[in-house]
Amino acid sequence: MDLPAEEEQPLYSQRPEWADVVPLEQYESVAPLAPIFYTDEYRDATNYFRGIVKSGEMSPRVLELTENIIRQNPGHYSAWQYRYKTLMALKSPLDDELQLMDELAIKHLKTYQVWHHRRLLVQQTRNPGPELEFIANSLQVDTKNYHTWSYRQWILAYFNDDALWSHELDFMESMLESDVRNNSAWHHRFFVVFQSGVRSGDEDRDAVVRRELAFVKERIAIAPNNASAWNYLRGVLDHTKISYCELQAFVLPYSLPQPPLGTPPEVVDLESPLPSKNSQLPCVAAVEFMADIHEAAGGGDLVKATEVGYVLYELGKYLTYRSFGNPWQMSTILYARDTGNTGSRNP
Amino acid sequence: MLPTSLPPLSKGGHATHCKRCLSGLPSSQVDIDPAKLALSFYCLGSLDVSGELEKKTRGWEREQWKEWIWSQQTSGHYGTGFRASSYMTAKHSTEEHSVHDSPQIIMTYTALLSLAILRDNFSRLDRKGLLKFLRSCQNTDGSFSSEPLGGDSDLRTTFCAFAISTMLDDWSGMDVASALQFICSCRTYEGGYGQSPFGEALGGTTYCALAALRLATKQLDPLDRQKTVRWLVQNQASNGGFSGRTNKDADACYCFWCGASLHVLDAGDLVDKAKMASFVAFCQFKFGGIAKIPGEHPDPYHTYLSLAAVALLPPDSSEGTSWALCPLDPLLNATYQTSSWARAHIPALKVDDDDALGDAGI
Repeated sequence: MDLPAEEEQPLYSQRPEWADVVPLEQYESVAPLAPIFYTDEYRDATNYFRGIVKSGEMSPRVLELTENIIRQNPGHYSAWQYRYKTLMALKSPLDDELQLMDELAIKHLKTYQVWHHRRLLVQQTRNPGPELEFIANSLQVDTKNYHTWSYRQWILAYFNDDALWSHELDFMESMLESDVRNNSAWHHRFFVVFQSGVRSGDEDRDAVVRRELAFVKERIAIAPNNASAWNYLRGVLDHTKISYCELQAFVLPYSLPQPPLGTPPEVVDLESPLPSKNSQLPCVAAVEFMADIHEAAGGGDLVKATEVGYVLYELGKYLTYRSFGNPWQMSTILYARDTGNTGSRNP
Repeated sequence: MLPTSLPPLSKGGHATHCKRCLSGLPSSQVDIDPAKLALSFYCLGSLDVSGELEKKTRGWEREQWKEWIWSQQTSGHYGTGFRASSYMTAKHSTEEHSVHDSPQIIMTYTALLSLAILRDNFSRLDRKGLLKFLRSCQNTDGSFSSEPLGGDSDLRTTFCAFAISTMLDDWSGMDVASALQFICSCRTYEGGYGQSPFGEALGGTTYCALAALRLATKQLDPLDRQKTVRWLVQNQASNGGFSGRTNKDADACYCFWCGASLHVLDAGDLVDKAKMASFVAFCQFKFGGIAKIPGEHPDPYHTYLSLAAVALLPPDSSEGTSWALCPLDPLLNATYQTSSWARAHIPALKVDDDDALGDAGI
């Protein structure tokens, strides 16, 4: 929250308690490129900051000054650096600083320095517990913020505490519940399940893979045209070296047009959930997947691969006409790959 | 829908936008200070790639800009590099530069390219100091910190270190093996590269990884290459623009980051170039400059990267001369004329090469 009183503070040059500091103006030896026309408030504060840096002072008022500058320019690298050094020198209560950061982080979610500073602080407090909740709150504001997700991955990996990891899958599930197309959440799930070691309860890796395949299939069934889920499926298979072939029964219905109304329902196969009603089919990612299966099965049979490529190319044109997603590209790349031809766009 | 011809690319307008930014920025742009040299590079790069530099700027201006860029070259016990701008430089300060005024690796890369655009002879470059600076920035995991003192270390800084080493034609400033190891550790299951290990695949850092590998003459194995190409192609949206991550909206800057990545992998033909140009065309601001999406305000970053993308992956020549730009070197991210200049003038003269001086530049 902005305190109105704060904005009405007089300039540092008018405050008697700062009279002992010699302000230092910014110096340019030659006319600068892209000069910035600073406000009086910013010029004043940074003049005093340069003065402080020169004298090396580390005191509570430096914290006030650097906060002032950061609020005007959250990207001010040196103000952050000097603030951190001052906090350390003064042995300031870092929980207070983290509270201030809670506010600034939400305000400046895309500023790198906000997150870097936070990492430095938490490395000192060594209390990562509250951070996950803070991150969850930040993700409410911006569900795909790169810095926020990186910070979560860092907290988990750096402290690597079982208690921290214990709720990650539930958290991911709720994030995907609210947006099944949130690729950051899918990526995070992959990181938690496959890239960060094996946690208690997950020792049976075959069971983990079965769980993940079931999880992703269910979500593909809900929303078939979701590149994030298909990429996750491919990621799981590649990572565990499972052949794409084994997924054929599941993928096939997604690669075909929607069955006409009145078609008797298929026998329910829990391993292969069917596309939800009203899905836009055929699904490009499924067609691509089937092509990969055929290609793997065909081995050196270039003719068959070329046929698949041609069918896909035709399908791609059809889908483009219906303006679905980006099938033209998909078919082109399949065609190019299957024929080993990257030089031409036409079959 | 029948194909329609593109609206013209307003090269002159974009050059004017960039020239205006070089002349001054409003107070609301104060966050540019810690990245001023990067902004300058995007402005100069736009003028260069559109062939407008000589038309829009005067000789004395270019000389003055060179002087200012050189005034950002600073040295310390950590070596020599370029700082972002003079925002921490005090008046009449003659003592050695404080740690709060230290050079930054991304700024150093953009400074070298900017000086090459301005055809500087690099007689003032402290080459030994620059190599020392790179060494001071490299961490034990192979990554590079943005500053010798610390700061962010991710694939952006790694790429810059590779590009600087290439321009110097000297790789003694880094441990190449561990740097390559770091790049590999940023690869994700989607086929792209995250900003740092465990990060989500992102267009910008994927370019950084692929260009760096290529600068070091390394190739992806065929399966990995195929996965990366697949992911990059998937990122071209139906409106022709590229998204930086799966399921995100297109943004003009990713036309370069993803398009150039495909080009680096020799798969530039898989880009739908006409559609990409159309997306860029609609991101043009009517008073000059290119925005990240249609209808937004332009900035030099999106202007340059859009122009660079079009230069690298141009639409059919039937779209007219407005879409013709100078050919681009996708690995250093500058026009070929500029990158050749950099490669010819930035390396130290080798004693053994003295006899071959007559061949310089060939």
